[in-house]
Amino acid sequence: MERFAVLGLVGLALTLCIIAGEIDLSIGSNAALAAVIVVRFTDSLGAVTALLIAVAISTTIGIIQGYFIAYLRVRAIVLTVGTLMLLRGVALFAAEEKTVMLTDFRVPDFITTKMFGYFSPASILVIFMFILVGIFMNYTRFGREIYAIGGARKEALAAGVNLKRPMIIVFAISGLCAGLGGVIIGLRSGTAQALGLQYLLLAGTVAAFIGGVSILGGKGGVIGAAIGTLTVNFLNTGLVFNVTPAFMVQLYLGVLLMVVIMFQTGSRIFDENQRRRQIISDVDARRGPLLARRQTGPP
Amino acid sequence: MSNSLIANARVTGLGFVDRLVRDYSALVVCLIGLFLVVFIVGMATAPNFLTIFNFKTIIRDAALVGIMAIGLTFVTLSGNFFLLSMKETAALCIICFATSMSSGYGFEISFLLTMGVAIIAGAAQGALIGLGGNPIVVTLGAAGLLFGLGSWWSDNLVVSFRRPHGAEWLGTGSFLGLPNITIAFILIAISAECVLRYTNFGRQVYLIGANRAAGKATGHENFSMAIKVCIIASICSAFVAIAFSAQVSSAHVNYFSSEFGSSGDMTIMVIATVMVGGNSIMGGFGSTLRTSLGAIFISTVDNMMVLHGFNSGPRVLAVGLMIVFSIIVFALVRRGSRAQE
Repeated sequence: MERFAVLGLVGLALTLCIIAGEIDLSIGSNAALAAVIVVRFTDSLGAVTALLIAVAISTTIGIIQGYFIAYLRVRAIVLTVGTLMLLRGVALFAAEEKTVMLTDFRVPDFITTKMFGYFSPASILVIFMFILVGIFMNYTRFGREIYAIGGARKEALAAGVNLKRPMIIVFAISGLCAGLGGVIIGLRSGTAQALGLQYLLLAGTVAAFIGGVSILGGKGGVIGAAIGTLTVNFLNTGLVFNVTPAFMVQLYLGVLLMVVIMFQTGSRIFDENQRRRQIISDVDARRGPLLARRQTGPP
Repeated sequence: MSNSLIANARVTGLGFVDRLVRDYSALVVCLIGLFLVVFIVGMATAPNFLTIFNFKTIIRDAALVGIMAIGLTFVTLSGNFFLLSMKETAALCIICFATSMSSGYGFEISFLLTMGVAIIAGAAQGALIGLGGNPIVVTLGAAGLLFGLGSWWSDNLVVSFRRPHGAEWLGTGSFLGLPNITIAFILIAISAECVLRYTNFGRQVYLIGANRAAGKATGHENFSMAIKVCIIASICSAFVAIAFSAQVSSAHVNYFSSEFGSSGDMTIMVIATVMVGGNSIMGGFGSTLRTSLGAIFISTVDNMMVLHGFNSGPRVLAVGLMIVFSIIVFALVRRGSRAQE
């Protein structure tokens, strides 16, 4: 349950991105930047201020990304692969190319205390985020716009959806989740590396896909994201209990993602074939009497 | 659409200068202008920038990333975005090569084995992409899989082999004063450009990248194309892995992630090279020549910053800025050409 927090946030963010038909590759760099900032400023400004600054910066980065993606009309992967590098540079800059460390270890202690017997502050925050985003996606116009631009972008734009608004919201939430995830990791371990946290992208994507999003966009939901995160998490925990080296986890995650993709692609091809066969049989049924008449027609 | 216009230009065989003026002008001017600016600034401020030795260094640094980027350019041009598994393919290949070398097989057999592994990895990814999987997600999964396989195989240890191993000529040898790896880079760049420009296969790459529906209508499915371009990209990764392994006589899966260059990530550097060279990520527009120039450009900037004593932070930042700048210029140019129609 403890590791659920960060993975859940990243999985949630990527679920939203994939629902909108895009993917945010810069999520690991964004989280790393937030971790570096929060660890660096906790000693001088106090944990709460540092946390707010880090999350605000990450969210702002997300908003800017969303704006540019909508304004330039580029695919998100194109822009976010650039910002991946850019944010890594910024994080290196902020960390002065070192591993930054906390000197005051009361904060990590607070983060890992259990509050109501079972939940740490981080898990409560994540559960709260899940509920909030779930309500947002299901019961507000903005949430439905996100589904719309993912499932049928041209139709949504023709129906009057402004591309900028949902795109900015998606990437703002993505930045917010990345920032919160980075802050939690940074404060919990007390250290942060500018080039770390890149594994979050793979783990989050696996969580999102197990949660049932479609790569074509427009499908999936927050409950799915939670289930996917829990699955990946149980896999992780099980492997760790069996003393599996870290790289094997990556191997299993890779296999899992490939299998899910294969399944999705296969079912899509099957659907298409089925539809094609249906059309052909329809046409045949209509043409059948005609053909019969022609064969036995007047001599 | 500007893309189909370019495809037309390609297919009807307009002259090179015509095409330059029609489609490439803004981008080419931008790139050449930037290059000149960097060059002049370098000349004016950095000591030792304008020496032959330094130029050799620049091109040698560009070579490894450049070769991989040339392979990736095929994938990008054919409209399959990019592979996120470049460095992981290289990681698996370097382990394969070094294991095979250390267990006593000669260079040739190890080379062929490694290429075989690369072809299988590329074909599998290509088949999944060609069947309609999203290239980014497929290769993200493949990246985890290949990296895990490499770590598993090598048990996450350094695999090394003894010095007289028959591969020195590739790693550290030189010919006429140029390192062999530089010569390989130049040869690969020229041959890739020739393939793209003068063969049927090259034209099909452009056609499918520019307009997939038209490609399908004329009988060129993306399925076989995706497999072919992924194999090309994987072979380029394998070649880089072999060259790097021959240079240091050892292998570890992290050679391309943590100890390589300033950014700590080869894949992103390769993608950066393709983008900074000015290839359209959506496919159908660009060339391997531009990619090579992009590699040399990034290497020049990096070299200049090293001469000025910058740390890795600003250097990574500079590469990131270059990518984002190239994306923005590209999007604006495309939007301009769309507005004209």
